[in-house]
Amino acid sequence: MEAYLLNLGILISIYSILGVTLNFIMGYAGIYSLAHAVFFGVGAYAGTFMAMHYNASIFVTLPVAMAAGAFLSLILALPALRVRGEYFVAASLGLQVLAVTIFSEWKSVTGGIGGLIGIPPLDVAGFEVFKPSQFIFVTVGALIIILFIINRLVHSSFGRSLRAIRDSESAAAAFGKNVPLIKTISVVISSALTAVAGVLYASYLSFINVESFKLDTSVLIMAMVIIGGTGTQSGPIVGAALLLLLPSLISYMDFLPQTEIGSIQQIIYGLGMALLMIYRPGGIVGRKKQSETGKE
Amino acid sequence: MLALQLTITGLQTGALYALTAVGFSLIFGSTRIFHFAHGATFIIAAYLFYFVNVSGYGMILGAIAATAGAIIFGLLLNRFVYVPIQRDEGSFFTIFVASFGIGIVVQNVIGMVFGRGFVTVQTPLSFSVEIMEGLYVSPLAWISMLCAAISFSLLWYFLKYSQMGKALRALSDNPELVRVFGMNPRFISACAFTIGSILVVPAAIISGATSGLNPAMGHHVMLISLAATIVGGIGSVAGTLMAGLALGLAESLALLYVDSQWTEAVTFAILFLFIIVRPSGLLGRSAAH
Amino acid sequence: MVASSADTQDVLMEIRNVDKAFGGVKAVDNVSMDLRAGIITTLVGPNGAGKTTLFNLITGELSKDSGSIKWLGNPINKIKPFQASRAGILRTFQDLRLFNEMSVEDNILTSVENNSVPIPLTKSQRTARREKVEHALNRAGLFSKRKVRAKDLAYAERKFLSMARVMATDARLWLLDEPASGLDPNSYEKFLEILRDEVKQGVTVCIIEHNLDIVIGISDRIAFLDRGKLLADGEPQSILDDPELRAIYFGERT
Ligand SMILES: Nc1ncnc2c1ncn2[C@@H]1O[C@H](COP(=O)(O)OP(=O)(O)O)[C@@H](O)[C@H]1O
Ligand SMILES: [Mg+2]
Repeated sequence: MEAYLLNLGILISIYSILGVTLNFIMGYAGIYSLAHAVFFGVGAYAGTFMAMHYNASIFVTLPVAMAAGAFLSLILALPALRVRGEYFVAASLGLQVLAVTIFSEWKSVTGGIGGLIGIPPLDVAGFEVFKPSQFIFVTVGALIIILFIINRLVHSSFGRSLRAIRDSESAAAAFGKNVPLIKTISVVISSALTAVAGVLYASYLSFINVESFKLDTSVLIMAMVIIGGTGTQSGPIVGAALLLLLPSLISYMDFLPQTEIGSIQQIIYGLGMALLMIYRPGGIVGRKKQSETGKE
Repeated sequence: MLALQLTITGLQTGALYALTAVGFSLIFGSTRIFHFAHGATFIIAAYLFYFVNVSGYGMILGAIAATAGAIIFGLLLNRFVYVPIQRDEGSFFTIFVASFGIGIVVQNVIGMVFGRGFVTVQTPLSFSVEIMEGLYVSPLAWISMLCAAISFSLLWYFLKYSQMGKALRALSDNPELVRVFGMNPRFISACAFTIGSILVVPAAIISGATSGLNPAMGHHVMLISLAATIVGGIGSVAGTLMAGLALGLAESLALLYVDSQWTEAVTFAILFLFIIVRPSGLLGRSAAH
Repeated sequence: MVASSADTQDVLMEIRNVDKAFGGVKAVDNVSMDLRAGIITTLVGPNGAGKTTLFNLITGELSKDSGSIKWLGNPINKIKPFQASRAGILRTFQDLRLFNEMSVEDNILTSVENNSVPIPLTKSQRTARREKVEHALNRAGLFSKRKVRAKDLAYAERKFLSMARVMATDARLWLLDEPASGLDPNSYEKFLEILRDEVKQGVTVCIIEHNLDIVIGISDRIAFLDRGKLLADGEPQSILDDPELRAIYFGERT
């Protein structure tokens, strides 16, 4: 039981990092990316590559993974500067599909469809972290640091510029905002921080393959953000916890046929997404907040 | 000869892509509903046809069941998911996430009922015939193209001459027109869903006999439809048709140069380039801001 | 720079032979005019005359087909909107384009800040910024509403917020696109007062306005546009007395 909860806690904090970083571009800059899992994957593969071939110290794996995520995110920034709405969604979808193909085919780095096994544990300043009871401190710590960074950004002039661009791009430009530059910076920051989640995920499981970085994951992350509350601080974390707890609750219902448990989880998850969008589109945290500020 | 073989296969695939894509494009163009569960309509129709067929009721009843299933699914989704979300000023993404969720539900329900593996509808038409030395074509290739041609002619006739068709076209050109039209927007969107859903039926049936079916293929179908809609130009049925054909051809002809695992990547590389270089698509309105 | 004779003010902006066509329609047709320092120039003309388009060409929101624009003596033909703003040219929009989900205060704060990179400000920069925002809030009568979201404001308040965004900055030239349209007499008196005050403090204004009372009340100079062409540009009285222009002006309004 304790191991089970620890595992859940670790996964929730990793997915919270993914949600928080996606929320940063989605809720504040209006960049709705369906390619977030790509940068999760880039971080995981890049970190793993460094850990397996050079050095497993997080002072090596994290910077390399973040740099890789940041650099490759420029490809996502490209359409973000040109188009919006459904066009950008389609572009990010295209990127997601391309990336999955590359993840599956670039066997020397990604291990192909089979993936990579035997990924070394995290090396934090010479101390190897692999027990879940220790690992959870690392993931929660990383989540807190990332929350702090994003919180600072959102409440700075930079965050205001992002929201201004989201509300009216032309007015933001008319008041001196270099819109393409600001959008690019936000995508780069978001992707670099996303890569951190990838590194943690890979070394926690000590095994990764392309299945974790497909479109389904991108949509799952987007659903976490939207269900939790886009543009709110705690929304993505609430969303991540909810969507990860949901399936695990189902596995406790032993009256369900065990062979179909995976499908039933998926069905409930899909239904949950649709129902929440119908009845609570502002998200769990979002709605309340809006009516509060409205009254002030 | 290989190139010719691949061209014919490409046209066959392209014809089916065009059918599903035009359905999506018509719905999206006239209602602005990002109907991601269009892929689910496809597998519902395909599996209904398969089921009626293996139960021994024959192809015609199968086709009728598939058509009815597709229409009902489309209309129910519109009525009970999209309309309530839109009433609440739901954003594009709210609709997208809900629709994606429904897609997951359908995929897993079908998987539980029919199994997750491949099934095929066996027909005598599935076997390839050597029509020239080294050129094998199954009669289904011609049937696909013929079906597409017939469907598009009917659609063209409908859009051009019927009152509702004109309304749908006008809405695709300018979504702001809903109110001006004096027609009930609910009714218009129900019509768009009906026609859009019918269009996937021939593609779904033929796919069952050619490539076979599995519950996860709705996803792929949907991605292709979206790609064709954007490459063709949002709001342009003709553009989507051409783009669907072109994507099918590109996917097939790409085999001359790359392994089959890369074909999907080719499609989406084309999509990505289009969005960056010419976001308005082949025949669409300007999209860059 | 254009020579300025003893009795004319310095020319801040020099617009020469500017053209812009949309499809077949010439929205701005060979327009040449000057914006002089420290005065209010009013752009008048019927709807669709090309007034807003001219603003868009000045700030680089749209690119000119031909012609040239100089700002403080330097050509700014390829300028982008964010550069125009940083060079001291600010505008309001006919459709306001407020930052709707942000508070009134944040709307103004955002307009004062024009850095793109996330770097922290020094203490004195922050105080200066705070003062500007408060000044604009008070001037626009929005201080008590500073925490309200822009989209929750009443119509007149939204118009004043759009002015306050400009007011808080150090811009030298304000391009105001119908800022007073739809205001009740009380509000527009207040609006005129603000405008006169700011001009006294050295701001230069180019304003698009339809209401004849306001036009008479504030204009130091009037430029008359119709179907993209600059029909007249001069002293208010001479323009308002011209029977042909009056015919176009009032013809459009009935
Ligand atoms: N972005 C645009 N695309 C196409 N036509 C435009 C655009 N902006 C303005 N126009 C056209 O240019 C003409 C002038 O418009 P505008 O400058 O807005 O007039 P005004 O502000 O004087 O009312 C109008 O005929 C208008 O339809
Ligand atoms: Mg105008």
